[in-house]
Amino acid sequence: MSSSSVELARLPTGIPGLDAVLCGGLFQGGVYIVRGEPGAGKTIFANQACFHHVGTGGRALYVTLLAESHSRMLQHMATLRFFDPAPIPAALYYISAFRILEEDGLKGVLDLLRQEIARHRASLVVVDGLLAVAESSASDREFRKFIHELQGYAVLEGCVALLTTNGNRSAYHPEYTMVDGMITLARAHVGARTERQLEVDKLRGSESLPGRHAFEITGAGITVYPRTETLFARPSPDDKGRGQRVTTGLPELDRMLGGGIPAATATLLLGPPGAGKTVVGLHYACCAAAAEPALFFTFYETPDRLRMKAQSLGFDLDRLIAEERLEVAWAPPAENLLDAIAQRMLSAVDRKGVRRLFIDGLGGFEETATHGARLPQFFGALINELRTRNVTTIFTGETRVMIGSEVVSPIAGLSIIAENIILLRLVELRSRLYRLLSVLKIRDSDFDVSLREFHIGRHGIAIDATGDSAEAILGERDGDRPRRRVRAETGPDRPKR
Amino acid sequence: MSRTVLVIDDEFGIVEVLETILADAGYEVMTALHGRQGLKRMAERRPDLVLVDYMMPFLNGADLIRAMRKDPALADIPVILMTSLDPRAVTEIDGDLGLAGFLMKPFRAAAITEAVARAFRRQQR
Repeated sequence: MSSSSVELARLPTGIPGLDAVLCGGLFQGGVYIVRGEPGAGKTIFANQACFHHVGTGGRALYVTLLAESHSRMLQHMATLRFFDPAPIPAALYYISAFRILEEDGLKGVLDLLRQEIARHRASLVVVDGLLAVAESSASDREFRKFIHELQGYAVLEGCVALLTTNGNRSAYHPEYTMVDGMITLARAHVGARTERQLEVDKLRGSESLPGRHAFEITGAGITVYPRTETLFARPSPDDKGRGQRVTTGLPELDRMLGGGIPAATATLLLGPPGAGKTVVGLHYACCAAAAEPALFFTFYETPDRLRMKAQSLGFDLDRLIAEERLEVAWAPPAENLLDAIAQRMLSAVDRKGVRRLFIDGLGGFEETATHGARLPQFFGALINELRTRNVTTIFTGETRVMIGSEVVSPIAGLSIIAENIILLRLVELRSRLYRLLSVLKIRDSDFDVSLREFHIGRHGIAIDATGDSAEAILGERDGDRPRRRVRAETGPDRPKR
Repeated sequence: MSRTVLVIDDEFGIVEVLETILADAGYEVMTALHGRQGLKRMAERRPDLVLVDYMMPFLNGADLIRAMRKDPALADIPVILMTSLDPRAVTEIDGDLGLAGFLMKPFRAAAITEAVARAFRRQQR
C-alpha cells in the first residue's frame, strides 16, 4: 500500500554537527526560532546557515529588526571562514526593517517580508530580532497573527524562516507554541569554565537528538558536537565479533592473552602512575602496519615529549609517522569539549583507517568532562562505535592506589565496557619498587592467570616468562621467607636468581 | 541657499548619523527608508544630491538610480552609492550607473562630507 503522505524536503543548515542533531536538517516551509541571550551566537548561527545555503545554490534574505548596522555585522562575519562576499547581494540580500517596524508596525514588516521573499525568490529567510516584533505588538493576539502570516508566506514560497530572539520570554509565549521548531543556544557555567550548549527544544515532524549538545564558536563559525552517547545510541554497523587476535607488541603478553587481544575489542590497561602504561602503548602502537594503521591518542604528553620518550626506549615513531602507519594526536584536557575529542578521535580513525588505537588515558576524559556522571555512558558509546569500526582499542586508566594490591577502577562501570582488562601494579619491597603485570579478564577466552614481573629498559618492556619472580616478590612482601635478590633495572634481560 | 541632500537607507542608525553630519556641514537633509520611498520624496521635492544605500527593501539602490535616469526631472541629479559590498562587485552586477561616487560602509564622518563636496564640485565643472 502506498503512503498518502508526502515526505517534506529537508534543508540542511550546513552548521557542522547540527544537522546530525536535527536528524537531517530543517523542513522546507517551516518557521524556526533560534533563541539565546546576547552573545549566545544567534547572529553567527543565522549567517552561517545563509552562507551555506547560498553556497549550495539557494537564495537567502536576511532581515534585521535590530538597530545594529549590517555593514558592522558583515565586518564581523568577514572574520569567519564561512564568509564569502561573492553571493552578496545577488543570492544573499541584507535589509533592515527596524524603522519600518517603528513606523508601520507589524503589518509593515509583514508586507516587507512578503514582498522581499518573493522578489528575491528566497528559500531561506532570517528575521533577526523577533523580540522587537513581540515588543511592538499591541497584544499576544497581534503577535500570534504575525507568526501565523509569516508561516503562511513560508509555506507558499517554500522557504525556511529562521527567527532569532533573546531567550528571556517564557516557553509558553505564543511564538513557541506556533512555530515548527525551536533551538536554544545557551552557556553553562561549570566552575570557572563556560561551555556553550545547543538544545533542540522542539522539532515538528522529526525526531532530533535529545539533550544539550556542546558547541563552540571558532574562526570556522559554529561547530556543534552531538552528545556521543545519543549520537551513537545505536552503533553504526553491527558488531560482528571477528574472532581474530591482534598483537600487543609484547610476545609474552600475547601468550598470556591466549594469542593477543581479541580484534575489535576494548582493553582497559589499569595501573598507577609510573607503572609503564604508556610504554605498553608504545609497543602496541609501533606494531602498526600499512594494513593496520595505529593512532596514539594522548592527553598528557605532547607529540614531541612522546617522541623523545619513545626514542629513549628504542622506538622509532618518526619513521612510522612518515610512513603514515602511525598518527599521534594530542588533546590537552584543559578547556576542551568531551564530544569534540570523541569526534576528533573518530575522524582520525576514519581518515587513516585506524585499526589499533591507544588512548592515554581515561583521566583526560575525566578532566575534560563538565558533567562527570556522563562518563560511563559516553565511554560506552565511544567504545561501541570504535568496536563496530573494527578498531582494537587499549585505553589506560589510573588506579587510585599507587602501591599495593588494592585496585580501584577510575570510573564506575568501566569493567563492563572493557572486554579485556590488564593490570599493572607497583609493589614495594624493602627499598625498591617492582612492576607486576596480570590479565584480569579476556572476552570469551582463556588466559594465563599468573602474575608476571616486568622490566622497563633500553628496549622497552620485557615480561618474565614465568610467574616465579612475581610469586617471590609477593610472598616475601606478605611475610614468606626472603628468597629474592635485588637487581638493578637496566634492560629487558631476565633477572638472575 | 543651502543645498539639499536626500539620504536613502533602510538602516536606522546610518540615516540618523548622516542626517546629523550633513546638517552640521550646512546641507538641508531629507530622508527615506527605501528606494520606493526615496522616489516619492524626490517627486515631492527635487534634491541636489542623493546618497543611497545598495541593499534596501522594495527597491534597491541600483534600481532606484535606473528609475531616476529614466525620469527627465531626476536624471541629472548626482548620486553617491553607499555600500558594504565591494564597489567592483556592484558595478559588475549593475553596470554603469553613472555614479558621482562610492562610499564604503562603515565610513567616517569626514569621508561623507568630502564625498558630498566632491560630487558638488564635479557637478559645477
